Amino acid sequence: MDETLTKNRTVRKSKKEKKMTWSLIKSQSQLIYMSVPLLAYIILFAYVPIWGWTMAFQDYKPARSFSDQKWVGFKHFEFLFKDDSFLQVLRNTLAMSIINLILGFTTAIILALLLNEIKKIFWKRTVQTISYLPHFLSWIIVTGIVATSLASDGIVNDVLLKLNLIKEPIQWLSEGKYFWGIVGASHVWKEVGWNTIIYLAAMSAIDPALYEAADIDGASRYKKMLHITLPGIKPTIIILLIMSIGHILEAGFEVQYLLGNGLVLDWSQTIDIFVLKYGLAQGNYSLATAAGIFKTVVSVTMLLFANWMAKRLGEERLL
Amino acid sequence: MGGTSKTLFRLGTILLLSLSVILSGCSGGTKSGGGKNAPEQSAGENNGGKVEPFEISVFIGEAGQQPTPDNKIYKMIKEETGASFKFEFLAGDIDQKLGVMIAGSDYPDLMTGNTKLTTAGAYIPLEDLIEEHAPNLKKHYERYWNMMKDPNDGHIYILPNYGVLNGDPASNWYAGPAFWIQKAVLEDAGYPQVKTLDEYFDLIAKYKEKYPTIDGTPTIGFEILNYDWRNWGLFNAPQHLIGHPNNGGVVVEDGKAEIFADKDYAKRYYQKLNEMNAAGLVDKEAFTQNYDQYMAKISSGAVLGMFDQHWNFQTAEESLITQEKLERTYIGLPLVYDASIRDHYKDRPALNLNNGFGISVNAKDPVRIIKLMDRLIEEDWQKILLWGIPDEDYYVNEEGRFMKTQEQRDNFNDGTWKLGNKADAWVKFAPKMEGFFSDGNSTDAAAQPEEFKAGLKPYDRQFLEAYGFDSPVDFFSEAPENDIAYPAWSIDLVDGSEAKIVNTKQNELSTKYLPKAILAKPSEFDNVWNEYVAEIGKLNIKAYEDRINEVLQWRTETWSVK
Repeated sequence: MDETLTKNRTVRKSKKEKKMTWSLIKSQSQLIYMSVPLLAYIILFAYVPIWGWTMAFQDYKPARSFSDQKWVGFKHFEFLFKDDSFLQVLRNTLAMSIINLILGFTTAIILALLLNEIKKIFWKRTVQTISYLPHFLSWIIVTGIVATSLASDGIVNDVLLKLNLIKEPIQWLSEGKYFWGIVGASHVWKEVGWNTIIYLAAMSAIDPALYEAADIDGASRYKKMLHITLPGIKPTIIILLIMSIGHILEAGFEVQYLLGNGLVLDWSQTIDIFVLKYGLAQGNYSLATAAGIFKTVVSVTMLLFANWMAKRLGEERLL
Repeated sequence: MGGTSKTLFRLGTILLLSLSVILSGCSGGTKSGGGKNAPEQSAGENNGGKVEPFEISVFIGEAGQQPTPDNKIYKMIKEETGASFKFEFLAGDIDQKLGVMIAGSDYPDLMTGNTKLTTAGAYIPLEDLIEEHAPNLKKHYERYWNMMKDPNDGHIYILPNYGVLNGDPASNWYAGPAFWIQKAVLEDAGYPQVKTLDEYFDLIAKYKEKYPTIDGTPTIGFEILNYDWRNWGLFNAPQHLIGHPNNGGVVVEDGKAEIFADKDYAKRYYQKLNEMNAAGLVDKEAFTQNYDQYMAKISSGAVLGMFDQHWNFQTAEESLITQEKLERTYIGLPLVYDASIRDHYKDRPALNLNNGFGISVNAKDPVRIIKLMDRLIEEDWQKILLWGIPDEDYYVNEEGRFMKTQEQRDNFNDGTWKLGNKADAWVKFAPKMEGFFSDGNSTDAAAQPEEFKAGLKPYDRQFLEAYGFDSPVDFFSEAPENDIAYPAWSIDLVDGSEAKIVNTKQNELSTKYLPKAILAKPSEFDNVWNEYVAEIGKLNIKAYEDRINEVLQWRTETWSVK
């Protein structure tokens, strides 16, 4: 360990060594009182529900007391992992998640970098506003727009036909191979502007002196972007990445449900849809819970892993 | 020092208290109707004294609109009985909503029927309540008493809203399944009699060739909707083509049910569709479109035909009427494979056990609710609920027949008007008379023959005259008496059971393979079909069929006793 780190640690320790005494508690009692509601909130809404996980190991029947439930061990987990379609569903979920993650990140960062270069505030604002407005539309509207523009007489086919890129209209939504791409693209269209905001905020915190210094050294626009702006927002990027990796099994539900159809079923079904079909729609809440536990376990593992990686790479961490 | 800690203590207590208030608000149980400060009304004939106002909270398991606060019918109900309603309509997914309701045992007083709620024990048994307090309801349901019992425990939980008939039902407007065809196509071909599937597609093919575009949009020969739960457009046709009524996913022969999805007569239909697709008659987007797109296409007037239930595309047809494209509206045809098969599309309304109201276990005063329903089933109220107020919503002519002026007719088709002048949310699910009132008038304005004729547009009158028919229903064969156990589609498969899982999986396979088969090159059709049949073969279909047969058996035994 190098010197500065050890130093830091001793400093922290000396602060901590202040003993927990009654007088200390008393002198900070306001703080303690203030934290009570929040603690209660967290316990109530984040920890108490974990009790519900017991459902996954029962044949849960609603409106019956806990002692009346029948315990079945890992039956529901077995059903999940033995079902052929579950593996397919898992694949789809992961694929679409990863596509969304990568596309979402790169496009948002690129847009933020480009916006940051616009010097005319009016144009910057305009572009930004237009790009984040779709965020406020609900998915049901967005999928409606997507379905309409991908129809055989929709705008996408129209443009491609006019440009002579294709001979006859493509049935975008009837081919499984296009589906993941369509979902990724719709996500980008809807969320890119919104995701940019946080990066723009991070960029505004970069010391202008750095740019001035770079100017004096004769750095080009491109170089400044690469060596000042990007490293400046690196901590933000890492934190957001860690957080998104925690949601790796949440490819979403609405898009796939609303855009999916029989012909692309093998590519469109996600864990959430599977759970709705075989869990909630069947009144089988235990199965839904089992799938939820599976998702949570995977998410926590991924989160810890990403956090650990960030630490290894010497970056900021979330935990 | 002591002073500050006291203040702090007080502050902390206040915080805790406010928190607990917030939390108890979250976990809050049912709302009480006691807070209503409606003025007390005096009821003339009932008990001479004052009617105590009370509020009934009602959950409606489908999307809908709140009636206006000054709705005239609800006002009348309140004046006489003191009852006012607080409706909650479904927003979002029904399964999700019910899940939340069940988990918290958070039920309003009245709820529309749903097997999930029955399983969760959310309804109270109604037999004794009706015997004791509701003579009119008892009389109303008398002939159907046994049918209303839950197959699982023999109690009555739901009061069915449709299917209790008084006399042979008259109907002019056909709501059920059929092969629909644009009137223009029949008109153009000189009003031919169409009986078989082949004739039907020939007509469409010829018309499409003659008119490649309609009002500028390319003509669509045959449209199919297979979206979400509205999937029957693709699934249900084969059973009708062999002359069976709508039993959902099974064909019932001699009381025995079996699935038809993988049978040869089903194959015959899909093969035909496959040929028609190759000939360019089937819409290319049929299997990727959603319901809105489907409706938009029909509203454009460019769709020549489809298999569907009338109520499913009714709004699109209404839009065609508003656009005054009457020749683009549809007529239902009861097609079969061979002219020798008797069509059985039209059926007598069967008791729908999954629909109607049930009283929840949380209802504070079930007796008052049942008494209210008992009062409203009486004929004077039924006339108000179904027809409206005399001389305001309809008039009675010299022969004592109920009729409407054009303005009154238009009002009845105006959604905004109805919110203020009809008790639709209630009437739709409440027990009601169907057929005829004691004075011979039809219970349903649309079913009153002379009223229907008077309301016909000239084009439609002329169209029907060309065929020599009185109404569109005449295209169909008269409905024979229903099997006792009919229909199989109303059977509860029991949540989480193997039967239900198998059924879900079979649906998924059909959704996946049938479009594939129809869109395949004709030479590859057999391959796809065989793969489909093989996949179905892997499922435990017997579990599904067994459950259906078990309930059919039970129904035959219990229901036939009179």
